[in-house]
Amino acid sequence: MLMDIFANLAFGLSIAVTPTSLLFLMIGAFVGMIVGLFPGFGPAAGIAVLIPMTLGLEPTVAIIMLAGIYYGSMYGGTITSILINTPGESATVASTLDGYPLAQKGRAGPALVMQAIASFIGGTIGVVLITALAPLLAEFAASFGPSEYFLIITLGLLLLTTMMGDNKFKGLISALIGFAIGTVGVDVMSGQQRYTFGSPELIGGVYFVAVAIGLFGIGELLHCIYNGLHLRPAKKLRLSFKSKEFWPTRFDYIESRFTFFRGSIIGFVAGVLPGSGATLGSIIGYSVEKKLARDPENFGKGEMRGLVAPETANNAASAGAMVPLLSLGIPGSGATAVLLGAFMMWGLQPGPLLIVNDPGFVWGLVASMYLGNVILVALSIFAIPLFVKFLDIPYRLVVPVIVLLCVIGAFAIHASIIETWILFLAGVLGFAMKLYGYSPAATVLALVLGGMAEETFLQSLIISNGTLYVFIERPVSLTLLCILIAVAVVPMCLALRRRLRRTQAQE
Amino acid sequence: MKKWFSLGLVGLSSAYLAYGLQTLDILDFSGRPGAGYFPLIIGGLMLLATAINAVLDFREARLGEMHPLQLDPSTEGTAELMGVDAHSLDGRRRFPRDVLIILALLSGFIFLLPVLGALAAMIVLMLAYLFTFNQAELLTNVLYALALPAFLYWLFSIMLNASLPVGPLRF
Repeated sequence: MLMDIFANLAFGLSIAVTPTSLLFLMIGAFVGMIVGLFPGFGPAAGIAVLIPMTLGLEPTVAIIMLAGIYYGSMYGGTITSILINTPGESATVASTLDGYPLAQKGRAGPALVMQAIASFIGGTIGVVLITALAPLLAEFAASFGPSEYFLIITLGLLLLTTMMGDNKFKGLISALIGFAIGTVGVDVMSGQQRYTFGSPELIGGVYFVAVAIGLFGIGELLHCIYNGLHLRPAKKLRLSFKSKEFWPTRFDYIESRFTFFRGSIIGFVAGVLPGSGATLGSIIGYSVEKKLARDPENFGKGEMRGLVAPETANNAASAGAMVPLLSLGIPGSGATAVLLGAFMMWGLQPGPLLIVNDPGFVWGLVASMYLGNVILVALSIFAIPLFVKFLDIPYRLVVPVIVLLCVIGAFAIHASIIETWILFLAGVLGFAMKLYGYSPAATVLALVLGGMAEETFLQSLIISNGTLYVFIERPVSLTLLCILIAVAVVPMCLALRRRLRRTQAQE
Repeated sequence: MKKWFSLGLVGLSSAYLAYGLQTLDILDFSGRPGAGYFPLIIGGLMLLATAINAVLDFREARLGEMHPLQLDPSTEGTAELMGVDAHSLDGRRRFPRDVLIILALLSGFIFLLPVLGALAAMIVLMLAYLFTFNQAELLTNVLYALALPAFLYWLFSIMLNASLPVGPLRF
C-alpha cells in the first residue's frame, strides 16, 4: 500500500511540477491569501468569483489554481485575526482568541510565524491522510449503486444543515431551494422542459457558476456593506521581520510539539465529515487543547498553543474536506461544492471512478497541495509585510473590484446577459439568506448535487419497480439509512429531553 | 423583515409546486416516474418546511423573542467560544441605504452592459460608485475608474479571449 501511495504521488508530482502548473499554483495560493485577508469574503466566494478567470486554462491547471485559493485563504485569514482581532473568515475565529493577545504582548511576529508553521504542518498531515484514505474510500464506494449514492447525498446535506445550530430548519429550506433551482431545464430522463417558462436560455438549466458567484460573491459583499465595512478606515500596520523578536523562541516550538499533531488529526476528521468543516474543526481543536493543558487559565491571554491548535486544525480540515470530494464526488462545504461545480464545468465526472478514470487529475491535484503548502509557508513568513500592506487598502475601494469581477465573470462564461441577471437575483437572495440565518452553502451544495440526487433516486425506483425497498435491501444502503435517521432524529430527541428537563426544573 | 421573507418563501414554494403540478407529468405513459416526480417531492417538502418556518418566525415575532438579523460567522464563532449570546456582542450600526445604492448601481451596470459595451459600462459604474462612496479623493477616483476597467477588459477580452459585450465604440 505504501508503495502505491508513493507511486501515485510521484505520478502526481510529474503532472504538478510543470512551469504552467507551478505558476498558477502560486497565483492561486497568493490570491487565496488575499481572499483570506478580507473579512466577509470567504474561500467559496473567492473560488466562485475567480472560476471565469480559469477559462483559457487546461482543466488540471485550472483546478490546481482554484484549490490553491481554497487552502491559501486559511493561511491569509489568520493574519488579520492576529494583527487586528478581525478574523478574515469564520475558520480563523478561534485563532483570534490567543493570536490577538499575543500581538498585544508584542509577539505578533512569533505568532505569525507559528501560525504559518502550524498551517503548514496541519495542511501537510491532511494531504498525507488524503493520499492514504481517498483511494481506499473510492475503492469501497465503487460498489455503490444509485440507492447508496442517493442516501450519501442526502446524508451530506443533512449533516450540513444539522451543523447549523439553531437554524437547522432554515438550513433544510436552503437545501430545498437549491434542489428546486436544479430542476430548471430539460429533464434528462424524459426530455420534457421544466420551469423554463418558454425561455430558450433556461433550457440548459440555471448554470451553477452564476448562482454561486451571486450567493457567495454579491451576497457576502452586500452583507459586508450592510455591516458598514466600507466605512471603516483602513488599519495602518507596520511590521519588520529583521528584528530578533520577529521569530518564535525554542520554547514556543517545544511547548507546541504535540499540539501540532493533535490539532491536525482533529481538524482532518472534522473536515472529512460533511458539514462540520474547518470552522468547527478549529473550535474543537482549540477546546481540546485547552482541556488537555495543565494551565488552561493561560488560554485566551496569549498562549501559543491556543493559536497553534486551531491553525493546524483548520488547515487539516480543508485538506480533509477533499477526501469525500475526490473519492465520492460529495462536497461537504460551500467551498468544496463550488470546486465540485468547477470539476463538472471542466467535464470531469466526480465520483469513485474519478480516481480510476482521471488519475492524472486527482494525483496532480493532491501533489499540488503538497507543493502549495510549501509555497504558502514561504509566502506566509517572508511576504507578511507585503500582505500587511494589503490591509492598508480601505474596503470601499475593494468593493468595485468584487462587483466587476462578479458581473464580468458571470457574463464571460456563456456570453449571456440572462446569467448576469441570475447573478443579480442570486446576490439579493444570498444577502437575505445571510441576514436571516439561511445557508447559501446548502443551496449551492444542493444545486450542484441536485441532478445527481434526482437521477440516482429515480434509478433506484426504476430498479425496484417503484418500491422503496431498494433503500433497505442492501447492507450498505441500510446502514446509511440508519445513520441518516439517527442524524435526523437524535438531535430532535436531545432537544426534546432538554426542554422536558427545563420544564421539570421550572416546576 | 425576517417574517416577511419567510412568508415570501412560502409564496414561492406554493408557486413552484402549483406550476409543476400544472405543467409536468408526474408519471410517464408506462407508469414510471416522469419529469414532475422529483419536483413534486421537492415542492411538497419545500411548502411544508417554509410554512412551518413562517409559523415559527411569526410566533417568535409575536412573543418578541426574535433576533431580527443573523450575525456574521465571526461574531457567532467568538460568542460560541466565549459561551455568551452572540447578539449581546453585537452593537453595530447597519447601513441598509448603502445596500440599496449598491443594488441600484449593480442593476444599472447590468442594464448598461449590452448598451454601452463592457469597457464603457465598467467605467460608468466605477465613476458612479466612487463619487458616491469615496468623494474626498477626486483624482484617485478618476484614475482608478479608468485603470481597473482597462485592466479587467485586457484580462478577459484579450488574455482570456472571452466575448464581452460590445458597444457603439466597438469595445
